[in-house]
Amino acid sequence: MNWNWKIDRRSFLRGAAGALLPLPFLNLMEAKSLIGTRSSGSSADEPPLRFMTLFKPNGVYPPSWNVNGGTEFDFRMSPLMAPFAKHKDDLLILDNMGDFGFSSHANSTRRFLSGHHQNVNAPSIDQIIADKIRGDTPHRSLELTTEGLFTGQFGCSYISYGEGGAPISRESDPQLIFDRLFRNPMSDPEQRQAMTSLLDRVNEDAKSLVRKAGYEDRDTLDEYLTAVRETEVRVQNMSQASNAPRIDFSQLKRPESGANLDEQVETMIDLISLALWTDSTRCITYMLGNSNSRMVFDFLGIAEQHHYLSHFFRNFSRNNLESLLKISLWHMEKFDYLLTKLKSYRDHNGSLLDHTVVLFGSGMGHSDNHTVQRIPIVLAGGKGKLKTGRYVRYSENQELSKLHLSLLQTFDAGVDSYSSSSIPLPGLNGDYFPEFRERPFNTWVKRDGGAITAQGRLRMSDDLDEAKIFYIDIEGRSPVRIEVDFWDFHNFNLAYHVGTPIILSGNGSDAGSQLLITKVTDLASLYGNSKPGTQKG
Amino acid sequence: MSLFSARFRIQTFIAASSVLTGGIVFANPEFDSSIRPLIENYCLACHGGEKVKGNVDFSEIMEADDFNAHFEIWETVADMLDFGDMPPEDEELRPSSDEVQQILNWYQNRFVQTVEARAGDFRPRRLSATEYRNTLRSVLGFDLETTIMGAEQTVIERSLVLKLLPDDPPGESGYMNDTRNTPLTSHLWEQHAYIADRAIGELFSSKRRNALSKLIGEELPEEFQADKLTNGQASLLLRSLSKLANRRPIPESSLHFAFVSLQGLSGEALLNATKREIKAILVSPSFLYRGLLVEGEPGEQQRVDAFELAERLSYFLWEDMPDARLMEAAESGEVLNRDGLASQIDRMLASPKALNLSESFAHQWLGLADIDSAADDATTRGSLRSQPLDFLHYLFTEDRPVMELIDSDVAFTSYLTAKFYPEDRKQLSKYVKPKGIERQLVPNERIKIEKDQERGGILTMPGILAMNRGPILRGTWMLRRILGERLGEPPADVPPIQATATNDELSFRDRFDQHRADSTCARCHDRIDPLGFALQEYDDDGAYKLAANYKPPRKTSDHDEPIDEIDTSGTMPTGESFANFQELKDILSTSKREDIIRNVVEQVLAYAICRKLEVYDQSTVDAITKKIDQSDGSWEDLFLDVALSLPFQETRVPEISI
Repeated sequence: MNWNWKIDRRSFLRGAAGALLPLPFLNLMEAKSLIGTRSSGSSADEPPLRFMTLFKPNGVYPPSWNVNGGTEFDFRMSPLMAPFAKHKDDLLILDNMGDFGFSSHANSTRRFLSGHHQNVNAPSIDQIIADKIRGDTPHRSLELTTEGLFTGQFGCSYISYGEGGAPISRESDPQLIFDRLFRNPMSDPEQRQAMTSLLDRVNEDAKSLVRKAGYEDRDTLDEYLTAVRETEVRVQNMSQASNAPRIDFSQLKRPESGANLDEQVETMIDLISLALWTDSTRCITYMLGNSNSRMVFDFLGIAEQHHYLSHFFRNFSRNNLESLLKISLWHMEKFDYLLTKLKSYRDHNGSLLDHTVVLFGSGMGHSDNHTVQRIPIVLAGGKGKLKTGRYVRYSENQELSKLHLSLLQTFDAGVDSYSSSSIPLPGLNGDYFPEFRERPFNTWVKRDGGAITAQGRLRMSDDLDEAKIFYIDIEGRSPVRIEVDFWDFHNFNLAYHVGTPIILSGNGSDAGSQLLITKVTDLASLYGNSKPGTQKG
Repeated sequence: MSLFSARFRIQTFIAASSVLTGGIVFANPEFDSSIRPLIENYCLACHGGEKVKGNVDFSEIMEADDFNAHFEIWETVADMLDFGDMPPEDEELRPSSDEVQQILNWYQNRFVQTVEARAGDFRPRRLSATEYRNTLRSVLGFDLETTIMGAEQTVIERSLVLKLLPDDPPGESGYMNDTRNTPLTSHLWEQHAYIADRAIGELFSSKRRNALSKLIGEELPEEFQADKLTNGQASLLLRSLSKLANRRPIPESSLHFAFVSLQGLSGEALLNATKREIKAILVSPSFLYRGLLVEGEPGEQQRVDAFELAERLSYFLWEDMPDARLMEAAESGEVLNRDGLASQIDRMLASPKALNLSESFAHQWLGLADIDSAADDATTRGSLRSQPLDFLHYLFTEDRPVMELIDSDVAFTSYLTAKFYPEDRKQLSKYVKPKGIERQLVPNERIKIEKDQERGGILTMPGILAMNRGPILRGTWMLRRILGERLGEPPADVPPIQATATNDELSFRDRFDQHRADSTCARCHDRIDPLGFALQEYDDDGAYKLAANYKPPRKTSDHDEPIDEIDTSGTMPTGESFANFQELKDILSTSKREDIIRNVVEQVLAYAICRKLEVYDQSTVDAITKKIDQSDGSWEDLFLDVALSLPFQETRVPEISI
């Protein structure tokens, strides 16, 4: 077993914000020699399983996220999923997760990893898992974020809770994380040597001052020298204790601070991957923002706050909706970035993603009315533990705590209940689950001059740049395109009906091979409520 | 009623009585023969040995080697006796008036007449976290920041230094710059070492080329790479950094070692050696401590040298090291004369760095951190806190009289706090909320109070009222922070006042009266409650209940009286009565004026010299108080008087005793 691996300088790539990170997949060293032997409990041949959570703020605009129809193996990913659609085989997309109606931001944030918002005295699952899988890694876990503390409801700022349910402080600075992981004088021989020579130097300087100092000064200098000596002793003890060869991180370059949120997040994801790959830690949670994020995405050309936009009915305008979708799409791109990064590292006989269970999602589903149903939840990776490449839509709304219990059991946490659940969520590793069955319906379209009537499932355009365009899918022919003005969209509440079968009548024409409706005259839901509440919700 | 007005009265009495006693009395013999028996007889039963009420234990205090160490307790004793507050009225065993006078005479001799003013003992002091942050910025020419996204309604710590260093607890003086009792620890030192690394890394990065150019003293080309540093440039850099970091000129010889270590190096090796030398400078004691390089004769009281004086001044007004102009004034000795000092203070108060005086000194003095308890929302907190800070910055820097603290026709507000100024808000420029931003913290504008008279001065600022809810908290705050009275902690076994009860007929006021019927409570609450009652026209959010636009808060509190039943009248223990807050304000501006000024002087002096005031500082306080009071002096006058005062100008190097 050789720990003194060196990575050749040429094998580094410049990351998003200038971080020098190892070039993936070059097989610079026997993967086995790098990872796996430091874990406790597991044999040297078995790679450790990591747990990584990525949290998306402010829910979604449901028509853009929800999968329309589809079954376990036969489904079409939604428009928002486009950025990470290429990882389909590594994904387990869960639907009908969450069983609450209206819920505050803070409550839905607590529930994200703690099962229930009333589970306020227990640690969140990431912390229980961290204790279980830490082994002898130098860092038990990392809790990361991008955004400052929201004091109005501080629960919006935390997904990770420790013993007693107390929030765990979050770190947002990639450079600090890098230094903590890879520049720690207490664990890195090179840093330790630099520290030792600094200590010698400082001692000399201070002693030369002592020689000319007055009495009280000497007291102060004693205080100073005592502090320095304590550090010295600790460094010495470390040198003696760490006979075991350690990984040499000196070739890694500290990332530069990113110019905007996009660069900061990519730099952080670079570090997350590196931290997991080097087995510096095995458990990380990362919030892309507070659950009610007030951030302004100026680098996407958006001047309004995310939270304001997320209330797309309350603050309705098409421009707002388009801006909201741009922000959500950016979140999805970062999820893709994470998956791509984890896949790019070779780990044992597979990729780092294979040996990591990734949980991606949001605390609430509908960002405007705060319903906590059909929450975006996607699991990824975890080869052998999760059966991926599937879309699992449960017949009934599922408590998040069931998912949490399942994840705890995936990591052999030795628990048979968590929060409000003692039954794990079925179906994660391919076992039976009660699947949602849609009532069958026929699809057809009739045209009588300018009048068009179509029956079928309504969906948003796959192209988020044309989010105002809807389609009704008709079997055996091209879908009917619906391109109406704001008032039709608003009065007939098209967004509400997305994903469900409807009969829609309107006026329109041929547009090439496709029928186009430009004015809605009537809309009826096949099985549901045709005129749900007021649109202002 | 205040300690100092009490002492003033005692002084008048002494003038008459000293003729009879023949004048000179030696402190300790008199104490043992005539004072000790009185204390033992009347006080020790409750304040000594087994029973120690109010944390006052005479069995210890009387045996202390240095009576001066407990001068505040003796001051309180004199005060209590003078007003008949102690021993409690219901105590059977009480001293006769002759006996009381005997103790008062002894106090006056021991702690007022025979104590000479002298400078404090010299002791180097670790820079507080904020001082270190500011100093490091001044040395480098840039701030070290952490990566975090700020958004409206969130709070962030942008400074890497403040994020990594623990908060300094307030010292004995009550201020965080009094770091005497929180020494450097190994953890702190390692944080400093880490911050130095980050600072050096950034100094040589492309984005700090201008800062590096400035330190080296030559314009570096745009394509400059750190490993192209020449030996000459490295030497210039070390020389200027070490002069800045030491905050005084240092002998060339002390850099010898550093220059030798650079010799013959180039490229990466030279860069690394230079970095090592800079790091050694940034973690050295002479950078991390103030006053370490001051030299003096043990046992002598002496004036501090010009560089130490410049440093004292800049940490006082700026919480930062001296800038180039102040250093010049130190080098030329200009800062050592009165006019030189006055013109530096004038210049320094005009600098944006003087914001630190309100943001640190005033913030701590007035306890503005408590505004966090007034609202959860960060924007609301920020707007409520900015009002007193802007107001005090205005008083400090625009030569305003000290007493405008209590009453002023200037206020600072924005759309967020405008509702508290229903008439005068018309002076504000129109605020247009940017689309899509829910609540935005914007800078205050200065308005003149013409109609909303209930708002002038610090006492009725919305944030001050909102952080102190109910008459007791408001009265206590006014007594402690503004009038400078020392109040003990309430006894642990007394329940809080129930201002509204369920089953009896007691009125709001009755309940307080009942509470004060207990002599233990009355001792402080006779002083506290009336001041608080005067503010009953302001609700828990600080809104004025009699305003035409008044909307009651959604939740009423148990100290909320119906508008038509509000009683703002009160009588202070001195017998002075007022019908409402305006009349109380008049009393504060007249008969309490000296007390308020004295408190302000004490607060500013303690902050300026970074230590608790001692008995030998009292004559300095007396003199400055008298001067400001008589001349209706301004804050700037006060800062100058403090900077010219003995404890600020001089120091005493302790004798070496082994």
